[in-house]
Amino acid sequence: MTTFVFRNQTVEPFLGYDGMTYSGYDDISQTPTSVDRYIWFYQVPVNPDACQLAREIDSYSDKLDLVLSGITQDRPFVVFSLVNLFPLKFTGKDNQVAEAITGFNQHIARLAMERPNVKWVDFSGFTGRYAADALVDWKYYLMSQTLLNPKLAKPFHDWWSGIERELMMQRKKCLVLDLDNTLWGGVLGEDGIDGIQLGGDYPGKAFTYWQRSLLQLAHNGVILAVCSKNNEADVDEAWRVNPHMVLKREHFSALRINWQDKATNIRQLADELNIGLDSMVFLDDNPAERELVRQMLPQVEVPDFPEKPYLLIPFFKQLVEKYFMAYDVTDEDRSKTEQYRANALRRAEQARFIDLDSYLYSLDISLDILPADEHNLPRIAQMTQKTNQFNLTTRRYTESDVRHRLDQGWRVYCMRVSDRFGDSGITAAIFLQPVGDDAVNIDNLLLSCRILGKGIEEAFVKTVLNLMRLDGVKKVMADYLPTAKNGQTADFYDRMGLTCVRVGDDGARHYELDLTSVYEIKNCYNIRVL
Amino acid sequence: MNLEEKILGIMREVFDTTDVNEQTSQRNCENWDSLRHLSLASELEEAFDIELEPEEIGQMTDFSRVVETVRAKQ
Repeated sequence: MTTFVFRNQTVEPFLGYDGMTYSGYDDISQTPTSVDRYIWFYQVPVNPDACQLAREIDSYSDKLDLVLSGITQDRPFVVFSLVNLFPLKFTGKDNQVAEAITGFNQHIARLAMERPNVKWVDFSGFTGRYAADALVDWKYYLMSQTLLNPKLAKPFHDWWSGIERELMMQRKKCLVLDLDNTLWGGVLGEDGIDGIQLGGDYPGKAFTYWQRSLLQLAHNGVILAVCSKNNEADVDEAWRVNPHMVLKREHFSALRINWQDKATNIRQLADELNIGLDSMVFLDDNPAERELVRQMLPQVEVPDFPEKPYLLIPFFKQLVEKYFMAYDVTDEDRSKTEQYRANALRRAEQARFIDLDSYLYSLDISLDILPADEHNLPRIAQMTQKTNQFNLTTRRYTESDVRHRLDQGWRVYCMRVSDRFGDSGITAAIFLQPVGDDAVNIDNLLLSCRILGKGIEEAFVKTVLNLMRLDGVKKVMADYLPTAKNGQTADFYDRMGLTCVRVGDDGARHYELDLTSVYEIKNCYNIRVL
Repeated sequence: MNLEEKILGIMREVFDTTDVNEQTSQRNCENWDSLRHLSLASELEEAFDIELEPEEIGQMTDFSRVVETVRAKQ
């Protein structure tokens, strides 16, 4: 990825060199168009003349607007907020610089709302961690116009990679928790239901705060799961009887409470929830268990767990910032715990039917197929970013990428899936690129893993192809591009009856299909095209 | 690890190349530009818990002078 940085100070030690190009100091005369994204990282200059400084800061908003007006809206543009690293005042009432800074910061927040490609980063989230005299080393400022202390480059990298993850929505999906000394203090099997530390005074109070925090995490779309060496019946009783339990059985989407090793348990949790190991974070107070999981499942993130209960409060904040921060949370995210639990119920149901079709019929599945619009577009973009397994080409698009494609005449559909166990929300998308007058290329096709196993993918594609046929499309092209994760879709188009016309050296498969006849679709779905 | 090795390690990291040795200087190392020079100074200050003066930073033009400068500060 290539990035162009607008800046008025030396920021190379912080943002790095790889793929980065920098403007001249406060120079907006050149805006390269062939980069993947832009960053605006200005800092409040050091100037003893407050009036002049305030005017200069005011001019940044105009300059930013000017730059933005020359950039297409499909290119991500990240703007840092301004923080005054060296506030200098002659009178207590002198607020003009502070007001100019506030004005700029409000301006960028507004831009982020108005323009889908603009996102703003709260720079004070980084500077707020340091005392004023640690933020600047005047020697470096005067030698190389580096206002932010270059010694902070490493912590800045850590903070910035967290922010980038947030901007790219690469957050983790699932938090797996041990119970004893992790979700509460003490050992349930030894201290008993009323003996464990939860509620009341310290240390119980710390665990109450911790559970309340985790509940908020679940409300923000993170799946919670349990992996604990315990007797499940004891734990169930504790959940039922202990009045201080904030997190109860229903808050967890899956449980492994047994005496099996934790690596095996976590692997099973990943299967059951249908998510990758690399989207899981595991918490355990026992260093030996953590080490085992780190060794056996290197894809799983295993942070150290705080030794003292009072450290759970800052620990939670770190946990969120490192793994679970998203720029924006969609409604689908919020109800995810619910959906994953409904899936577990569905799987239990499946065991009772002999053939799949009668099971599918019993599920009362509704498929609503919708063209992309302003309401579902954020979710469609998010799916292209997050879906790995059922993703035919794994092309990642931002909201503005999708919008841009729609403007170019692409047809983009998504699908809302629900059944009698619940609403899975928008969980599939297809991108159709027009080729000539009567052909389309399936640029990408993806489905969230949680709706797989019900033939829905087939019904979706066939419905869309029937739609295309009605629309006069005569020929369809499609690609499968292999990744480490999408192996299960390698023969999907073969199964849909497309003809593989070419296989690349990299395993990429290219398909064609003449749209001559109507596709038959199983009658176990209520399909609506909206 | 002795002082020289530690400094070589820092230089490799700052200049983002393994091609750093006792003969490396600003003239023969492509990535040793003025910006990374300052990064090198700040990394050295951090690693050895020292404060370098601008004049000292200015004279660290090759590996042996870096070692010399750091050693004099300790």
